[in-house]
Amino acid sequence: MAIVNRTPDSFYRPGITWDEAAALERVHTVVAEGADIVDIGGVPAKPGTEVTVDEEIRRTTPFVEAVREAYPDLVISVDTWRNEVGRAACGAGADLLNDTWSGWDPKLAEVAGEFGVGLVCSHAGGLQPRTRVFRAAYADVMADVLDRTLSLAQRAMQAGVDPSRILIDPAHDFGKNTWHSLEISRRLAAMTATGWPVLVSVSNKDFVGETLGAGVEDRLAGTLAVTSVAAWLGARVFRAHHVEQTRQALDMVAAIKGDFQPARVLKGLV
Amino acid sequence: MRAAAGGSAVIIGAALCPSPPLLARELTGRDPLVSGLREACAEVTARLVDADPDVIVVVGSASETSAWDSASRVDLSAFAPALEADGTPGLPLSLGLGALLLDQAGYAGPRVLQAVGEREPTARCAELGDKLSASVGRAALLVLGDGSARRSLTAPGHLDERAAPFDAQVERAIRDGDLAALAAVNEALASDLMATGRPAWQVLAVAMGTGQPATQVLYADAPFGVTYLVAHFEAVTNGAGWPGAT
Repeated sequence: MAIVNRTPDSFYRPGITWDEAAALERVHTVVAEGADIVDIGGVPAKPGTEVTVDEEIRRTTPFVEAVREAYPDLVISVDTWRNEVGRAACGAGADLLNDTWSGWDPKLAEVAGEFGVGLVCSHAGGLQPRTRVFRAAYADVMADVLDRTLSLAQRAMQAGVDPSRILIDPAHDFGKNTWHSLEISRRLAAMTATGWPVLVSVSNKDFVGETLGAGVEDRLAGTLAVTSVAAWLGARVFRAHHVEQTRQALDMVAAIKGDFQPARVLKGLV
Repeated sequence: MRAAAGGSAVIIGAALCPSPPLLARELTGRDPLVSGLREACAEVTARLVDADPDVIVVVGSASETSAWDSASRVDLSAFAPALEADGTPGLPLSLGLGALLLDQAGYAGPRVLQAVGEREPTARCAELGDKLSASVGRAALLVLGDGSARRSLTAPGHLDERAAPFDAQVERAIRDGDLAALAAVNEALASDLMATGRPAWQVLAVAMGTGQPATQVLYADAPFGVTYLVAHFEAVTNGAGWPGAT
């Protein structure tokens, strides 16, 4: 799942796809690099200038239409917590609503059900959208993640979302300190064991930066390490800035697992 | 194994193939890597089968000389543990690939699987060749043996300047149907050059007898530093095609 931000101020390389032509160019690139899904977002996760519903729709919906026209079969995800935005996106051809803010707006699941699209059910530790974690504490963070994501999945089904289109996401960094994010990374098998497909969104995040003492431009190796561990533990969808490298890491893990044939095996066999 | 009709044992033809693990399609990943080589091996094997022999004798170099149960097969899981082993003890690689070629050719007739030790001296190989030609009826040979593994800087045995002329000499002997030259391949040099096919070639040369077979080389190359030869040998007596054929 390739990240395509229609924002001027997201944390990683802010504004690089603010321009629509640049954003479409990125879609061409990530598709060529092996992305199966693009995740289009119009509002950064961090606090900042308010983005109204209308503005968020303006940033995302025409772009969803453009991507749909260019790629009839590409899975298009829209990263939003707002039902109005989800509705506009689905009308424009989106297939998946990535609700990173953990069901803050209960009507978003209803939109997913109404349009027959997918929904990501995530854990944000009770935070309201666009707020930062502050002294979060959990008796058992994974238990909390499971409790929240599974109840959201149930709620989504009740709202009419096709169970085969529901994913769960522990949402690293959202309502979690670095220790919490490391813990959910380590115990991700508890999520994959539920049978729901697990999405992980770890790309260049702060927990990687804090762990490695790495600035935002120096987190690729850490990102790929977490990605690989998550893949090994059974995660299915990986939200990523670096598509080519992520694809390679995932192919490597899949080959180790025996789910993917090496490209060309010659060493020692001649 | 049964005696030939009319009581005379004869080798009616032979196929020579190499025995790198990568001949097994399952081992090379998504890239078939050596399609041409596999096709050539399939072609010479098909020719053996089409000649309708009483038995096909598979001869391949292995760690020691021994006969193997004809029902045995290769165990590719030894090379790729992700492939499931079927639980039976696997054949030595060369014989296993030979058995695989016969299976792929749809051959269900009698087969004999004979390994020849990599360090067997030339004289022992000749004895084995004689024994095979005398005892197996109207037989065809499927011989697995490789040329030098020292053909390039990236070859398993690194580059040895003597390797290319050595392989060329072997190839020439095969092209010319010169069985005496093939039987006389230098044992020590072959060993130096990691030409593991030497004992099998010598069994082939002696088993084919004293005539000059019609030969065709379908493949001769060392794409990865090991020389692979694929050839077909048709025994010719009085210019009349297969001996014993009507």
